Amino acid sequence: MPLTCLGIEGTAHSFGAGVVSDQGKVLSNVWDMLSPQEGGIHPREASRHHSDKGPDIIAKALTEAGIGPHDITLIAFSRGPGLGPCLRATATMARSLALKLEVPLVGVNHCVAHIEIGCLESGFKDPVTVYVSGGNTQVIAFAGNRFRTFGETLDIAIGNMLDVFGRTMGMRFPAGPAIEQEAMKGHRYYSLPYSVKGMDVSYSGMLTAARRLQTEHIPLPDLCFSIQETAFGMLAEVAERAIAHTKKGEVLLTGGVARNRRLGEILAGVAARHNARFHTVTPPLAGDQGAMIAWTGILQYTAGDRLSVAESYVLPKWRTDEQDITWRNLS
Amino acid sequence: MRLEKWAMGAESTIFKTEQWGYPIVLKWRPQKPYLLKDIDELLKKTRTNRECKMLTHARALGVSTPTVHWTDLENYTIAMDFIEGRQLKQLASTLPESRLREICFEFGQSVARMHRGNVVHGDPTTSNVLIDTKSRLWMVDFGLAEWNATTEMKGVDLHLIRRALETTHWDQQEVMLTATLEGYVNLLGSEAEPALSRMDVIRERGRYH
Ligand SMILES: Nc1ncnc2c1ncn2[C@@H]1O[C@H](COP(=O)(O)OP(=O)(O)O)[C@@H](O)[C@H]1O
Ligand SMILES: [Mg+2]
Repeated sequence: MPLTCLGIEGTAHSFGAGVVSDQGKVLSNVWDMLSPQEGGIHPREASRHHSDKGPDIIAKALTEAGIGPHDITLIAFSRGPGLGPCLRATATMARSLALKLEVPLVGVNHCVAHIEIGCLESGFKDPVTVYVSGGNTQVIAFAGNRFRTFGETLDIAIGNMLDVFGRTMGMRFPAGPAIEQEAMKGHRYYSLPYSVKGMDVSYSGMLTAARRLQTEHIPLPDLCFSIQETAFGMLAEVAERAIAHTKKGEVLLTGGVARNRRLGEILAGVAARHNARFHTVTPPLAGDQGAMIAWTGILQYTAGDRLSVAESYVLPKWRTDEQDITWRNLS
Repeated sequence: MRLEKWAMGAESTIFKTEQWGYPIVLKWRPQKPYLLKDIDELLKKTRTNRECKMLTHARALGVSTPTVHWTDLENYTIAMDFIEGRQLKQLASTLPESRLREICFEFGQSVARMHRGNVVHGDPTTSNVLIDTKSRLWMVDFGLAEWNATTEMKGVDLHLIRRALETTHWDQQEVMLTATLEGYVNLLGSEAEPALSRMDVIRERGRYH
């Protein structure tokens, strides 16, 4: 029987629902993001957003896919990692739908889903993945039946660093796009702490220094330019170290921050130096959305994975490398 | 002079050549056109400089490192002894467990020698540990090494070792990690404790919250 999977994503401030077929066709992908006027994300507020808007977003995803509820044969939801209240709100919707429609349920790892949707889009088999978002900064590659984190941030995520800096400057959340716009007008480089430890990075030092520079009346475009060049240069270096170490021939850039064009340009250069193919996940599939959950759900289900409603508790600290990737047969 | 491209590192290209009839390698940090020029130049310069000093300094601390013959800071190139052998990364899965334990024990001791001298390696993966044809262990790639290392920096070094073993040697990680940390503790005794406990703290820090 052909599968039509509804994927529900709600690990942080975004809620998304997507419908994907087992042929890998994205039939719809609808999402909405909580954008607080000030401050960062409040887990409670975000979970309320999900509970309030979720049903309409799911309904819209079905309409856009041109299907009715009874055409769904599988429900997948983001089981972790993420903010507890958000995960629980999302899981509750997934469970009740699965029970009502009498279809099986699978729980998907959010980080793994970012990789799998990128592989679907690019046709890559075994990439080094650079996954960059508001909550994550990881360099991941497949080895021994798991997606393993070769490098990550030692403190804050790159997207978080950009957002916090942006907030200081009065930019709207998320601040990445505004910083990118400003950076395009900048050209003078102000040195910021560049912190790489092996395949890990650290962004808290450069955030502190950038906020200090900001008080010294340095033009905003130059400051944004300097932040990007430093932060992305660090990522390029750890990605390069992972490629040289694993000798893999594909590089995938994914996550919300993958929408930044300068970052894509830098990593394309890294890949070229190592004769590796390169792909940046397209904007609609780069951020947090339901299609990636749906597609990964199909992969898991096809490999025999099932999750009973009784055991479908969420996993807020679920590590990328804690799941056996049963659907991949590379060694 | 024959110049043979020997290895492609993350930061460098390694050429093999000869000098006075002996094999040597040239470690060259090429320009990276995808980086901002200011950053690229600064990194190449500080790392070349640091690596050549640290190769010698680490040896003074009792760690086997290739002898540096000359450094050309203008061209970001270091000439050093060629170590005939293989990376521990490639070798690990081919060795009997007892031999692997011995090598990892020695690796742990080498890291401990640096830490005792308040130096961290900065990129202690098994790509940067070479085992020569006479079974001797060598450490290379000191571009990220640092002096005046604090407990935090040593903890990061150990964290990087653990993660390198988990990711690259997932099927042998227990044996390798245990032996490496045994070697580390064997050399440092109770002095090893602060860095070891920091390693665990660091692991949790970057995780999603
Ligand atoms: N002195 C040496 N003798 C033999 N091989 C070496 C030597 N130095 C480096 N290599 C080889 O080249 C690879 C890359 O060198 P490395 O110093 O680690 O550069 P990078 O900083 O670019 O990783 C090493 O992993 C090792 O296999
Ligand atoms: Mg190296």
